[in-house]
Amino acid sequence: MVKFLKPNKAVIVLQGRYSGRKAVIVRSFDDGTRDRPYGHCLVAGIKKYPSKVIKKDSAKKTAKKSRVKCFIKVVNYRHLMPTRYTLDVDLKDVVAPDCLQSKDKKVTAAKETKKRFEERFKTGKNRWFFTKLRF
Amino acid sequence: MVAGKKTKKTHESINNRLALVMKSGKFTLGHKTVLKSLRSSKGKLIIISNNCPPLCKSEIEYYAMLAKVGVHHYNGNNVDLGTACGKYFRVSCLSIIDPGDSDIIKSIPGDQ
Repeated sequence: MVKFLKPNKAVIVLQGRYSGRKAVIVRSFDDGTRDRPYGHCLVAGIKKYPSKVIKKDSAKKTAKKSRVKCFIKVVNYRHLMPTRYTLDVDLKDVVAPDCLQSKDKKVTAAKETKKRFEERFKTGKNRWFFTKLRF
Repeated sequence: MVAGKKTKKTHESINNRLALVMKSGKFTLGHKTVLKSLRSSKGKLIIISNNCPPLCKSEIEYYAMLAKVGVHHYNGNNVDLGTACGKYFRVSCLSIIDPGDSDIIKSIPGDQ
């Protein structure tokens, strides 16, 4: 009886172009809105996972391999698989429901989340989130 | 966790409690609505039949683990669970939203 689809929850997108990708809930709309009369949430996820970095790699190569490509999407709850993991990256100010209305707002939001994801990846925390789900 | 052979007495008591819930409480039947009730944190107890497909079973158990809701593995298949609910169709999983007059929520997860 605990609500678990809350912000900062790590989820896996199940349907659509990004199916199989890990994402984090930024904002959840449990009762829906007028345009979307179903439970849905705004997620920020990983489009392209960072590659495996080995000790032999030069600094330039490490930087290239640690790049993360992000996506921002509004997803129905039905198309998500919640996990027991969380990712506490503060994306509330960056990702807002209105940033999906125009292309350039979306691009700037994605760039900012990319930066935050990359710095989180470099610290080595939340390793599960940045590994590709094999299926 | 000793499952063993569930005595006839406790099995009947589950059936009795379920019948009372059907009469006086709120419930939903079926995988889709069970997940919906878990997501909205309305479900209070989940009952799964023993021949529920393992993927569905695992999915429901995982959601219930996240929502901290008890899951009861019914000692019977979906045909039996449907009969226990008083329905003429098969029921693989059901979610009790409001137990009504029944004490199923207090008594059954304790037995598990």
